[in-house]
Amino acid sequence: MDYLYDSTFDGLLTCIYYSYYEDKAKGIYPQDYYQCSLVNSSRIIVTDPILSSRVYEAIAKKISSQALKQAYYVFLSNHPRKENIILKYLQLGFKLGRKIDNLHTHLDVLPVYQTARKVSFEVHRFYGLLRFAESNNFLYASLKPDHNILIILAEHFVDRLAQNNFIIHDQKRNIAIIHDKQEWYLTDFNAPENISISEEENFYQELWIRYFTHISIESRTNKRLQNQFVPHRYRNHLVEFKKSFLTNLSS
Amino acid sequence: MNTMEKLAILTEGAKYDVSCSSSGVNKKNNGGLGNAKSFGICHSWSADGRCVSLLKILLTNYCIYNCSYCVNRNHNDIPRASFTAKEVADITIQFYRRNYIEGLFLSSAIEHSPNHTMEKIWQTLDILRNEYHFHGYIHVKIIPGADPRIIHKTGLLADRVSINIEQPTEQSLKLLAPQKSLQSMFTPMAEINHRITQNSEDKKKYRGIPKYVPAGQSTQMIVGASDDTDLTILKATETLYDRFNLKRVYFSAYIPVNEGPNLPALASMPPLQREHRLYQADWLLRFYNFKADEIVNTQFPRLDTDFDPKIAWALRNIHLFPLEINKASYEELLRIPGIGVKSALRIVRQRRFAPISYDNLSKFGLVLKRAKFFLTCQGRYYGGISIDTSLIRQALTPQPQPLQLTLF
Repeated sequence: MDYLYDSTFDGLLTCIYYSYYEDKAKGIYPQDYYQCSLVNSSRIIVTDPILSSRVYEAIAKKISSQALKQAYYVFLSNHPRKENIILKYLQLGFKLGRKIDNLHTHLDVLPVYQTARKVSFEVHRFYGLLRFAESNNFLYASLKPDHNILIILAEHFVDRLAQNNFIIHDQKRNIAIIHDKQEWYLTDFNAPENISISEEENFYQELWIRYFTHISIESRTNKRLQNQFVPHRYRNHLVEFKKSFLTNLSS
Repeated sequence: MNTMEKLAILTEGAKYDVSCSSSGVNKKNNGGLGNAKSFGICHSWSADGRCVSLLKILLTNYCIYNCSYCVNRNHNDIPRASFTAKEVADITIQFYRRNYIEGLFLSSAIEHSPNHTMEKIWQTLDILRNEYHFHGYIHVKIIPGADPRIIHKTGLLADRVSINIEQPTEQSLKLLAPQKSLQSMFTPMAEINHRITQNSEDKKKYRGIPKYVPAGQSTQMIVGASDDTDLTILKATETLYDRFNLKRVYFSAYIPVNEGPNLPALASMPPLQREHRLYQADWLLRFYNFKADEIVNTQFPRLDTDFDPKIAWALRNIHLFPLEINKASYEELLRIPGIGVKSALRIVRQRRFAPISYDNLSKFGLVLKRAKFFLTCQGRYYGGISIDTSLIRQALTPQPQPLQLTLF
C-alpha cells in the first residue's frame, strides 16, 4: 500500500501513524506528484494534527530527541525519496529504541544522517551567507537554498535582529519569513517588483565591498579555496560578489 | 579623509592578523542587537580563501614602535589614519544588521602610549555594549604595558582578547622587535587567565556575575621571519596552552612587507606549507592528546613537508601498529592516521552492538586510503603490503599525475 500525503510534516507523521496501526505502508509519496501503478494500491491520507502530534511525541520518547531532529531535517531536504528514508528509519527506530543513535552505518540509518547533514550544513552556511539590504523601514534578504531551510534560519535571525522588521525570502520556493518585531510567520511570498534602496544602503554596500577587497592578502591569493567555500550558485545574492563582479566587467 | 579611505587604510593594516574565529561563547540577544553562537559563523571568504567572520580593523595605524616585521612600524612611509571610537561602533552596527559580519575584531597600533590606546579600545566597546546594546561577538587586542585596570574593564565587555607574542623565543623577539619582551606580554596574559578562572569560580557561587572574557584568550606567532625551528614553536605553543589556558594559538606565515638585515628577502614566498603543517600539529595537541615532543624532537626538529604530522609520527612508531579496530581504545583509535575525533567516536559507539566489518569501515567517515595501512579489522590486515616504514611511505606518497601527450 502506498500512502499519499499533502507534503507537510504533520501529514507525513499521520501516514506513519496509519502505517503502524492499520496497513503497513510500502512507501509514502506526495499526493501532487504521485504516479499510479497497476501493482500497488494507494491511499490518500488526510492530515490529522492529533494523530501527528502523538507520533511526534512517541518519536521523542520511544526513540530519541536526536532521531526526531534527524527525521525533521531529512524532511526539509530536497532528497527525492525523503519520505521513504524517514519511514524506514522510524520503523527501525520503533523496533530498536535509543540504540538507533549508535548504529551509524545501518542501511536504513546512514542515508538519514547523510541527508540531515547536508541540510544542517546549508543552514550553517546561510547563517553567514545571508545578506540583508535596508529598504524604508525593513531589512530584506533573498536566497535560493537547495533545501527548505527557512524555518530553521528564522529562529536564528529572529533572536539576532529582534528589534528590526525583516523579510527573508526564499526565491526558489516563493515563501518568506516575515518578522515585525513582535512575531514572525512563514508565508507564501512573491517579491515586489522593485525594492527601493536608500542612499545610506548604497553607501554601506560600497563600504563593505571596499573592506572585502582590502582584507585579502595578495601574496596568498587562492581562488580555488574561495570557490570551495562560496559556491557560484550562491553568489548572485551576495553583495560583495555580485557588485565587484559587475565593476570588474565595466573596468 | 572620508570613511571609505580610512577603512581601506586601516583594513590593510589589520589584515596580517590571522585570528578569525567567532567561536567559544553562546549568548542570547538581551533586548538589543545580536547574539553569539559557540560554533562560530563565517560570513564570507576573501580572494585568499580566508574567512571573513569579524570586522577586522585597526583603530589607528600611527605607531610609536618600530618592529621590523610589521607593516605599520613608524619608519614606514605609508598612509596613516585613525578612526574615532564612534566611527568604528557605527560601522560595526551597520555591517552587523546586514549580516555581513559576526562582530568586531578591534586591534590597534600604539599611538602615544599603551594606556591611551587601550583606553580608546575600551571606549569603542563601551559605546557598542552600553549605548547601542550590541550583543554580538567582540574580540580585542590587549596592549601590553597598559594599566591592568583598563584591561580589566575592557575584559568585562569583550568576548575574546588576545596578545600576539609574535616570536616563540626572547632571542628572536629581541632581534626583530627590540622594544618588546616576552615577559611584558606574559604578565597581562597570566593576569587575564587568573581573572577568567576566578570569574568561572564566582559564577558557580553567585548569580548575575558579569562575564569576563567568556570566549577566552588567543595569541599569534609569526612563522618564518626568524630561524626558529618547528620544535621551538610547538614547544612554545604547548607551554602557552598549559600555562595560560589559551583557546587558540595562531600561526601566521611571514609575508615580507619590509626590508631589514634580520629578515627574509622581500621577494621570498610566505611559507604557507609550513604554516599548514603547524596547524595540523596544533590540532594534534588540542584534540588528539599528542605531546609536542611526540610530533617533533631534537632528532627531527622540523615537520615533514610531504606528510602530515600524524602520518609522520605513525611512520616513526610503526612498531605500535597495526591496531585492531574492534579492540583499540578511543585514545588508540585517535592515533591512527585517517581517523578523526568524529569517526573514532562513531566506531566506539557502534562496536558495542556488533563487530565492525571492513566493508562498513568507510561509512564511518574515516579516510581509508591512509588508515588501511595502520589497522586490522576482525583480525585481518587490508594494507596489501607488509607493515614496513619505507613501503608504507612509498604507498602514501602521491603519484605524479600522468600527462597527456600533445600531438604537436
